[in-house]
Amino acid sequence: MISAINLCVLCAAVLACLMVGSLHLRLNLFLYGVETLFIAAATVLTANAHGDASLICIAMMIGTLKALGVPFFLLKTSEKLNVHRDVGAMITPPLAMHLSIVLFALSFVLTQNIPTPQLVVNGWYGAAAGISLLFTGLVIMLTRRLAIGQILGFLVIENGIYVFALTQTLGMPMLVEMGILLDMLVGVMVCGVLVFKIQKSFEHIDVALLTDLKE
Amino acid sequence: MELFFTLCALPVFGAIWAAKCRHLEKVRSSVTLLIWLQVIATAILIGPLLRGDASLLRFTADFALDRSAACFLLLTNFVAACSLTHAPTFFRNESVIAGKIIPPLHERFFYVSSLLFVLAMNFVFMADNLGLLWVSIEATTIFSAGLVYFSRDKHALEATWKYLMVCSVGIAFALLGTILIFASSQHGAIDGGSLNVRMLIGCAGRLEPKLLELGYIFCLLGYGTKAGIFPLHTWLPDAHSEAPAPASAMLSGALLNCALFAIWRVTELVKLTEHHAICESIPIFWGALTALAAGLFLVHQYGIKRLWAYSSIENVGIMLVAIGLGSPMLFFLQALNHSIAKVALFLLSGNIIQYFGTKDLSKIRGLLKVSPTCGILLAVCAAAVTGMPPFGAFIAEWLILAKSADAMQGISVAILLIALAISFVAVSIHVSRILWGSAKPELTQSRSISRYLIPSILGICTIVLGLTAVPLILVKPL
Repeated sequence: MISAINLCVLCAAVLACLMVGSLHLRLNLFLYGVETLFIAAATVLTANAHGDASLICIAMMIGTLKALGVPFFLLKTSEKLNVHRDVGAMITPPLAMHLSIVLFALSFVLTQNIPTPQLVVNGWYGAAAGISLLFTGLVIMLTRRLAIGQILGFLVIENGIYVFALTQTLGMPMLVEMGILLDMLVGVMVCGVLVFKIQKSFEHIDVALLTDLKE
Repeated sequence: MELFFTLCALPVFGAIWAAKCRHLEKVRSSVTLLIWLQVIATAILIGPLLRGDASLLRFTADFALDRSAACFLLLTNFVAACSLTHAPTFFRNESVIAGKIIPPLHERFFYVSSLLFVLAMNFVFMADNLGLLWVSIEATTIFSAGLVYFSRDKHALEATWKYLMVCSVGIAFALLGTILIFASSQHGAIDGGSLNVRMLIGCAGRLEPKLLELGYIFCLLGYGTKAGIFPLHTWLPDAHSEAPAPASAMLSGALLNCALFAIWRVTELVKLTEHHAICESIPIFWGALTALAAGLFLVHQYGIKRLWAYSSIENVGIMLVAIGLGSPMLFFLQALNHSIAKVALFLLSGNIIQYFGTKDLSKIRGLLKVSPTCGILLAVCAAAVTGMPPFGAFIAEWLILAKSADAMQGISVAILLIALAISFVAVSIHVSRILWGSAKPELTQSRSISRYLIPSILGICTIVLGLTAVPLILVKPL
């Protein structure tokens, strides 16, 4: 059972690395959805392993709202704005993908010595997957110029932190989990609405060009 | 318990009322009334704590108030009350003096966001659980984004986007830190782990040290972004400068305290463990560095509100030093003096921008001729914020410097002194340019009193805080 959890979160981390390699928004959103579904599956498996029923509820919310709702909302936004591809910034996607694979390996080294509670067997893989997702999210934020790409990067970072919490602790308090999920969702909605406003005012959603306010 | 629910219910009720009621004047007056009711309710609620009759007020398992939180709760509500009382005057003058037409819907949206923002800030202080503390801080970001976006132009949009993105990513790191602290409590300290502050403090010695240290660093980084610590401050001047004056006042006078208070909560915990060195040297040095960087940025400023925004960053640095020294008293004293003077300065800046029709510092000249009241108030509050005697900030900064020197933090003290000197000179030069010089002849004198009511009350408060024993009464229970 434990190894299945690790497999799920490692798959999610690999999918995130694949996201970096493509600038197509539709593909990116699809990969993000599948990645989050893997995380929801890992949550269900953890719920079984620990016998924690509240985790099932969290898993369902992640599966419906984050894995399906958020990508669908962002897809609709991009279709309405008629943007299908990011421009890309700093380094080219293949190079960025290799960078994130290197960071994937590096996160195994970094998390080697993180102490895990006795009940969690092989917490190392989970911690590595979490930190790798966090790094990948940062790479996405740095290599995307469009506002939607930035939101995606942020969502991947958030997934990484969730995976870390799922695999390194014996279940966070339910109230806190709900609060975090709600905050993230509202944050994404607010950003989504702002993207529309940016398009309306600037006639593009290239946030690298928002440089009026500078020292 | 009833008062706790009142504190939660009042802003929600006000927000619904502001959203539903179509009569703008009614909304304006009811919001003002409601926010002062909130201040009174807070004062009654925390009375036992201030008198020293109790050391902790517990509402539910996850919500409680200790003495330092109570002081900050009162300060936050007071700042919000002052800003929201000034807001109707400010918006009226936007159309009368500055000639901008603000749709009533936008103004009502402003009140809705502000009240929810105040609610989120109240939860920051009342949360007795590090997870809920994080949720509240993130909620303040979301609600205040609506305030920054108020003017709905390109600059406001850019500032809001930067604010949301930088703060959300920063706060995400604080979440990682919170999870690490939770994980540290699962190694034999608390069965099943906990994020409850009292429980964590109770067994601080038994927390897993490596995870706790990592958690502390991530929390400092994350909440530090929200507090505007150098070099993570990039969102702060933009957001403060683009928001309308009453919103900037709340962002600077209340929100920064919330983020710093979150850092204080974590510091309080780590201080009790064997690894307390980490939560002394890092915040003290980083705070001093932030103050220095902000001081240098203050020299070359082109916007009046950006000037005060950088001055806020400087004060955040000083408060971070106080947190590193482990003194809730000094932290609150500095926060109190800074918030009161800074709120007055932002509200006055709003008036000045309306008179001159520009935020550009190089075009604002001869304020003493245009409006002597405004000019004198600006000079008083600017002196208070730079820490000149006899104002309250002088005492707070002096004590912080003395205590840092006692703690053998020589380098940080030197950096802090240089920073204070630079920012004092920079602010003095900018303010003297605003006050004197020749104003454009077409600017007429303004005689309205209402727009100076709140700033002058706050100006008197800064003097009272410096010359009387009021601060001693406030910080005594800490």
